[in-house]
Amino acid sequence: MPVDWGADMGKDECKTMLDALNKVTACYRHLVSALGSTSDSQNLREELKKTRKKAQELAVANRTKLTALLKDKSISNDDRAEYERLWVLFTSSMEILEVDMKRSLEIGQSFPLKVPTRHFIQTGMTGSTTTVAARAMSVQNMKYEADASIDTADLKDLETEIAQVDQMMEEMEMKVQVAPWAVEAKQEAGAELKSTVSVGNSSVGVISVCEEEPKEGGEGEAGLMKVFAGIIFTAVLLIAGILGYLVINL
Amino acid sequence: MERVIVSMQDPDMGMKMRNQRLLITVIPHAMTGRDIVDWLIQKYTITEEEALHIGNFLVKYGYIYPLKEPRNLCLKQDETPYRFQTPYYWTSTRWPASELDYAIYLAKKNIRKQGELIEYEKECYNALHKRINHTWDFVVMQAREQLRASKQRRKADRIVLECQEQAYWLINRPPVRQIRLYRLVQSDRRATVVQSDVMLYMWCLPLKNKLCMFVWVCSFVKYCEQYQDHDPIMQGCLPSNPWITDDIMYWNMNSETVTMPTKLRVERWSFSFMELLNDPLGRKELLTYLEKEFSAENLCFWQACEEVRHGEASKIAAKVDEVYKQFLAPGASRWVNIDSKTMEKTLEGIKHPHRFVLDDAQMHIYFLMKKDSYPRYLKSELYKNLLAKAIVPQETKKSVFPFMRRQRHSSPSPALVTQTAEDNGKAKPSAAKANAGTASQI
Repeated sequence: MPVDWGADMGKDECKTMLDALNKVTACYRHLVSALGSTSDSQNLREELKKTRKKAQELAVANRTKLTALLKDKSISNDDRAEYERLWVLFTSSMEILEVDMKRSLEIGQSFPLKVPTRHFIQTGMTGSTTTVAARAMSVQNMKYEADASIDTADLKDLETEIAQVDQMMEEMEMKVQVAPWAVEAKQEAGAELKSTVSVGNSSVGVISVCEEEPKEGGEGEAGLMKVFAGIIFTAVLLIAGILGYLVINL
Repeated sequence: MERVIVSMQDPDMGMKMRNQRLLITVIPHAMTGRDIVDWLIQKYTITEEEALHIGNFLVKYGYIYPLKEPRNLCLKQDETPYRFQTPYYWTSTRWPASELDYAIYLAKKNIRKQGELIEYEKECYNALHKRINHTWDFVVMQAREQLRASKQRRKADRIVLECQEQAYWLINRPPVRQIRLYRLVQSDRRATVVQSDVMLYMWCLPLKNKLCMFVWVCSFVKYCEQYQDHDPIMQGCLPSNPWITDDIMYWNMNSETVTMPTKLRVERWSFSFMELLNDPLGRKELLTYLEKEFSAENLCFWQACEEVRHGEASKIAAKVDEVYKQFLAPGASRWVNIDSKTMEKTLEGIKHPHRFVLDDAQMHIYFLMKKDSYPRYLKSELYKNLLAKAIVPQETKKSVFPFMRRQRHSSPSPALVTQTAEDNGKAKPSAAKANAGTASQI
């Protein structure tokens, strides 16, 4: 039936957009937590700015789509429950984004880039956050084109954007009458453990270093395995090279 | 504290940084406890004890976290390594740690540890799942995405990130179970069982704090048990709560000048001497008793001292003089028995009277009464008779027919009344009108 198919399309579209917003929110949070530390730099400020703009675009798109869907009175109850669940996902995302934006303003103001007397906190993080930002923007490599005064100029933009987000959230609460506590989540406790193929295994060995010392052996083992694999690979290459040489010469 | 941390970052004058070696990875920016204390001593020219104290605060508030034993949040002045916390995770009242964030953190930990969370974390996880169930989908999605984002970093940075987050949550959600005082109070078991419960819940505090906490908790529990029957919210008040039923009998029965007090009121006098003295009726009863014992001058002296303490400043000199003539002068009509040292001191002070000149003497008499007369009063016939005769008010029966219940009108707000009074310039008449209005609804 055309109506249901249209509704499903709407739902899928919404879900993909929400997933994108979710990804950008997570990356933004990651970037904000690096502010003020030794991995802070001009690049980081630019990354923050770009990620933020992308997050806002996605937020506006999501909001328009969801409000349109929720205002439609002709949808079935199940559909409505589903849209309300998506709405709750959207508002939670926006909450986290708003808090992170405000915090980035505060930290950005306390740690300006060009002041020589103000030093960054030596937290032990020395790598760059390029890959995280690239993930957020869904590009292969990040291009940096900002000038040196990005930190101060960006802060003003940030203030206006925070005000915009505040206003948007107020409007949302006014226009859409969704009771968040009435929504039932689809996932039950421990659901995150189920599809952990891509996430879990490679990080298991790394983590335990913080907590207990005995597990350091696990981390060492993972490293040794890598070295071992490398040795085998080079041995195979050597053998192939020798055989090729022999074949050619004989 | 933030300024201290920032000044520690100075490349010339700041902290000496070392590298933390973890099998293959090397992570920079670690420092030993001893370095921290030495730097603090040198920079602020303070003693070692002070430096240790400040250092402990830095750790307890999350600006520095230990690397070897993350749960032990104190500064040790030896080779134990520490690291600075990133500004995002600094303690701040503007950005309190939210439940949503904690849920996301626990979900991430759950994924990483493949379900092997610590006991109290599991409890928190389940409690959060119930409480913020409506956003649980978001929690799971965000946890997965945050883990994927952190996978983009180098291994060393990933380790640092996890340690940072763990330290943040150890401070903001410490693994101490809430002492469920309500449950302790409700149980009618004695203090010994309370002791064991309390000790169980305070394992992570250092010994000195444990003892103080334990003493405080036990006394608080005792107080709650004692006053539980007298609390109108816990036990309901008889005959009825005036705020609900508009019936002011409760206040009338407990007013200061009633002939026969309620039983609860008389019982409360036996809790502490201060309770007896604070109740005007109690004071009157005590006076009658003391007159029989010929030691009423103590109470009168105490009351006179209270008047000096809390009265008008201009009348202090006159009042002190009167007190002296009546109670302290040799051969006075109602001479009080104070020890010679306090008497000398008071007589010296009376030459330059001020509000608190009679404090020592008053304290002496207070303790005298408390130790001597008060226990005897509680055992006396007078008190026991009063307790037996005291009334226990009946709970007013709610009327069966709902339309028989009195209509409840809210009395006009005092703010509105005074404002209209100011507007019209008729202060007294409208206040009187308002009083009449409230009285007529009773």
